[in-house]
Amino acid sequence: MTSRSAEIDAITLSILWNSLLSIADEMGTALRRTAFSEAVREGDDFSTGIFDGRGRLIAQGNFTPGHLGAMPYVIENVLKYHAPDSLKPGDSILLNDSFLGGGHFPDFFLTTPVFRDGAIIAYAVTTAHQVDMGGAAPGSQRVQGISEAYQEGLRILPIKVVRDGRFEDDLMRMILGNVRVPAKVRGDLMAQLNANHVCAERLLRMYDTYGADTMGRTIDALLTRSEEETRAILRKVPQGRFEFEDCLDDCGPGTPPIKVKVTVTVGDGEIEIDFTGSGPTVQAALNSYINYTRAYGVFATRCLTEASLPNNEGSFRPIKVKAEEGSFFNPRFPAASGGRAAVQIRIFDAVNGAFAKCIPHRAMGAFSHWANPNIGGVDPRTGKQFIMYDMLLGGYGGRATKDGVEAMSPVMNCSNIPVEVIEHTNPVRVERFELIPDSGGAGKYRGGCGIRKDMRLLADDAVLTLLGDRHKFAPYGVFGGNQAAVGRSVVFSGNEKIDLGSKEVAVLKRDDVVSLRTSGAGGYGPASERDPALIERDIADGYVTVEGARKAYGRRK
Amino acid sequence: MIRIAFDIGGTFTDFVLQDQARGILRVAKIPTTPRNLEEAVLEGFDAILAAHGALPEDVATILHATTIATNAILERKGNRTALLTTAGFRDVLIIGRQKRYDTNNMHLDKPAPLIARRHILEVGERLAAAGSAVAPLDRRDLAEAIAALQAGDYEAVAIAFLHAYVNPAHEIEARRALEAALPGVAVSVSHEVSPKFREYERTNTTVANAYVRRIVDRYLGSLTSALERRRFRSSLYIMQSNGGLVTPEIARSFPVRIVESGPAAGVLMCAAVGKEEGLSHVLTFDMGGTTAKLGAVDDGEPAITQSFEVDGINNRRYSGLPLNVPAVELIEIGAGGGSIAVAERGLIKVGPESAGAEPGPICYQRGGTRPTITDANLVLGYLDPDWFCGGTMQLDPDASRAGIASHVAQPLGLSLEAAAWGIHSVANSNMERAMRIVSIERGRDPRRYAMVAFGGAGPLHAARLARALGVPKVIVPLGAGVGSAIGLLTADAKIDLSITRILPLEAGQEWAIKAIFADLEARAAPDLANLGGTGEARWRRGAYMRYQGQGYEIRVDLPSGEIGSDYPARAVAAFEAAYKTVYGYIDAGARVEAIDWYLIATVPGVGEKGATARQLVGQDAAAGSGKSARRAYFPEAGGYVEAAVVNRYRLKPGERVVGPALVEEREATTVLLPGDIAHVTGNGHLMIEILGG
Repeated sequence: MTSRSAEIDAITLSILWNSLLSIADEMGTALRRTAFSEAVREGDDFSTGIFDGRGRLIAQGNFTPGHLGAMPYVIENVLKYHAPDSLKPGDSILLNDSFLGGGHFPDFFLTTPVFRDGAIIAYAVTTAHQVDMGGAAPGSQRVQGISEAYQEGLRILPIKVVRDGRFEDDLMRMILGNVRVPAKVRGDLMAQLNANHVCAERLLRMYDTYGADTMGRTIDALLTRSEEETRAILRKVPQGRFEFEDCLDDCGPGTPPIKVKVTVTVGDGEIEIDFTGSGPTVQAALNSYINYTRAYGVFATRCLTEASLPNNEGSFRPIKVKAEEGSFFNPRFPAASGGRAAVQIRIFDAVNGAFAKCIPHRAMGAFSHWANPNIGGVDPRTGKQFIMYDMLLGGYGGRATKDGVEAMSPVMNCSNIPVEVIEHTNPVRVERFELIPDSGGAGKYRGGCGIRKDMRLLADDAVLTLLGDRHKFAPYGVFGGNQAAVGRSVVFSGNEKIDLGSKEVAVLKRDDVVSLRTSGAGGYGPASERDPALIERDIADGYVTVEGARKAYGRRK
Repeated sequence: MIRIAFDIGGTFTDFVLQDQARGILRVAKIPTTPRNLEEAVLEGFDAILAAHGALPEDVATILHATTIATNAILERKGNRTALLTTAGFRDVLIIGRQKRYDTNNMHLDKPAPLIARRHILEVGERLAAAGSAVAPLDRRDLAEAIAALQAGDYEAVAIAFLHAYVNPAHEIEARRALEAALPGVAVSVSHEVSPKFREYERTNTTVANAYVRRIVDRYLGSLTSALERRRFRSSLYIMQSNGGLVTPEIARSFPVRIVESGPAAGVLMCAAVGKEEGLSHVLTFDMGGTTAKLGAVDDGEPAITQSFEVDGINNRRYSGLPLNVPAVELIEIGAGGGSIAVAERGLIKVGPESAGAEPGPICYQRGGTRPTITDANLVLGYLDPDWFCGGTMQLDPDASRAGIASHVAQPLGLSLEAAAWGIHSVANSNMERAMRIVSIERGRDPRRYAMVAFGGAGPLHAARLARALGVPKVIVPLGAGVGSAIGLLTADAKIDLSITRILPLEAGQEWAIKAIFADLEARAAPDLANLGGTGEARWRRGAYMRYQGQGYEIRVDLPSGEIGSDYPARAVAAFEAAYKTVYGYIDAGARVEAIDWYLIATVPGVGEKGATARQLVGQDAAAGSGKSARRAYFPEAGGYVEAAVVNRYRLKPGERVVGPALVEEREATTVLLPGDIAHVTGNGHLMIEILGG
């Protein structure tokens, strides 16, 4: 390379890379602000991506990791069904299959080829979590009693749903006829198409400004450099094989634990994450399809090794994720998977546990697991159906130089729903929402506390669906740090107190109180090495009680 | 009639004296005295009055923008503050909204709350969502809390109970008990500070108010008495974040409203400059030493947001503390003259890390060793090393060259000028991204907007930014270096109140709407009485509305006048018109609801305003660098070319300058690109037509 072309490269690369990221972000803004479903608006449960004409991922917006990681495989699958030469300007292809797509039906992938001078220069892709895809239960994420995907709603293999820039009326009618909230699904699909148009327009302008040749060379250079940089970062990780094992509680009352086993093999600038040895496919909607397993396996690896940016095919290349076909982490269709979101934290925890053995300064104690409960029934104030969807997010494990963070969203990034909003829209009164003292694993650096939420039902009856974990297997500590307290789900009904499993379904009566308590998060390093000043600070702030400090740290006073 | 405006910044305190009768704006800059702010203030007053040959008693009005509240929050150096919450909800402030500000980073921390958990006390009480009492305020809990507060030696207390925005009874009862038992402790209650739903945001806003209350109180108290000692008999007004002025009394009760005081004044200046030039749509671009701030003026009015985050990280949502306070809408990114450039992953990265003013860019020769945007601009010839800040500072271009060579050019295999150009361009591209958010992503077509550029580095980058976005005109206002202080002169007294009442907009709701506005007017009344403006208040109503089922609301101005039976339908029509402007379509027939309601009262009469400037004096204007040309980098002209150097102070109205050229004034250099044309308008502003590119 002559020095003159190298000059063009570093600057053009910097600017064009910035522009591509800005397009991916702008797609996200367009999608979010016109979307109708809560998942897209509040949970940012969507993603955007730009692929080049050869189907290589070149840029993504900073949204849901599960979608981001699945996207490259989804495009590959879309192009298997629709060869590029069969596509025309104005086409868009829709897919929601759990195996080919994002691991469960609610994730809609919309792919739009971008044409310039008759050739495809790029694909604009958006993913959005649709609030309902039909099937056995509202939201299409019920775990218990679901044994195959056909019970989970409408399955869409890649179909050309948009021609000449317009949705096909017949196909739209068929899709909307199968979902509980057609207006929201339609609105979100429109928003996805709108976002893809934004991408196409801006990309075309970039091509006009810089020319196809410069764009092509820039993209090649970006991918090559990203791969080289990623490999250089991964070379800082000591080579070897590192294993870790843990268990998910179960997949509903009366079912056995699900084994989670991971082997991380660090080679020369590359890493393999292998889930071989984990449990088999389960007869409940919890299975993690390979695209989902890959997405979070790669996400965890990149976070832990600091190989976090940029998101493109080059930086993904050096990280491989695999699992045996037919296992929990790589099921065959039609395994049920609607509630697989509950697995993402465990994938991260397991990969973290293995990396603790080679990059201790980056590892953390295990997370508090989240709780994702639903309460559904009839609201006596309106006489209409309500579905209360909630998210309890606990603490982070202790880290190499500091305590774990209290009450922050782990892995997938969502916000809680304010108590005042919950009570306004649902016949429920929240009676407490607070941290649980002494629940964090003790350690040189303490794990964050678990979180508790008590809710009283103000309707005559309702169905409670739980989607949580860590009621049986405590979040682990690392390097001598203590494990955290396990979580509990309790219903107070009259004078009765009923303990529920982490994924149980229960019927509630008026004035029953559901008390959800997530586990705490694991500690880092031995409790005996904790700075006494930090113990006193925790007591003063009530994160640890005097009694708890005596037990965990041997504090005498 | 003389008015004086002053804006205390981190480095300088800026003063502008306006003498309407003589059509003069006099400007002064005095180094800020951080330990005792009044010192610089009084020095500045003395200097500017002496220069003008005026006495303290000639000054009718004093206008002030201050960062005192912001700094207390940023440095977590507020009052010793406690919080009282509903029992069971001690952790509202600690839990927050729980989202990470960066999805790809699992090692980050949440923004630190203003007070630790030990200072949060629970009191038994409970309201239902509709406002009815489920449990009364528990007297015993309250007595215990009071005992703890007495023992804890607190200066301020915040009270934030669930659903208090609907029914304030329990907060009022608790405040009464606290005030009786704890004289001298300032109590802030959530239903007054921020009567909005969403408990975390309301609680945080209330705590922030309590946290800075004594500090602002003491500061304004001593400022007022210092001015009185100097025989100033003028009335003092303080700028709020919403761009409106209030009396010190109101600022002392609701100090959280003045957090974005200075930046708000800057945007007001842009609006006024736009108005003078007949341009009602303006994008504002303020680039200083550490950050760039981007905002917008629509139809002559600064865009206002109902909430913002303070102490955030590079404009990322959830990285800061949310305040439910109306504020001028601004995006702030880490791109200023002092932003540091590095070679990373084969790319050039600029900011957000900054060398600030100390040690500053390498060329300042104050110990900075890492290349910054200013170093690149010096190497590219945009800055004159001998006439920086009007020649008060000597810059060292060789040191800049060496720094850029070793940190950027060599690692990336670039020539020196390519590396410097790369730094300049990447900085522009970062700002372009932010400006796209302000404009396109928020429904503003940049081709219909003019850009007003100010701050030390704004005029240097503005033309390229305008080209990238298709903005046709750039204005570099007269007195750009003291922009916020000038903005103060253009402000009105303004009270801006809002409240959450979720209401479907359908026939029969006019009574509910009437009650909401009556409530807001009653809340505004005491503040208005306090404002003491001379004119009649102008009222503006509005609401944040959405289609039922959506999660985001848009701001809709509502008709004034009688609220009759057709009012809900008129409100829906106003919503649909606004929705169509933002999103391009409407969902005809869908149900519409309003969430937050607001009422704005503006009182003219904070002195006479008039034009911002016709003649600017006090800056040793005529002296320039004395040079007529220097070599500067314009790649569209083939690289380094001989560019004309023009002394802005010598430009006569109507005289034209064609790019490539560098128009110099004391605080800033305007880079004029090849093909663009600039002239000074009748108002003294530099107007650039973006024609090239």
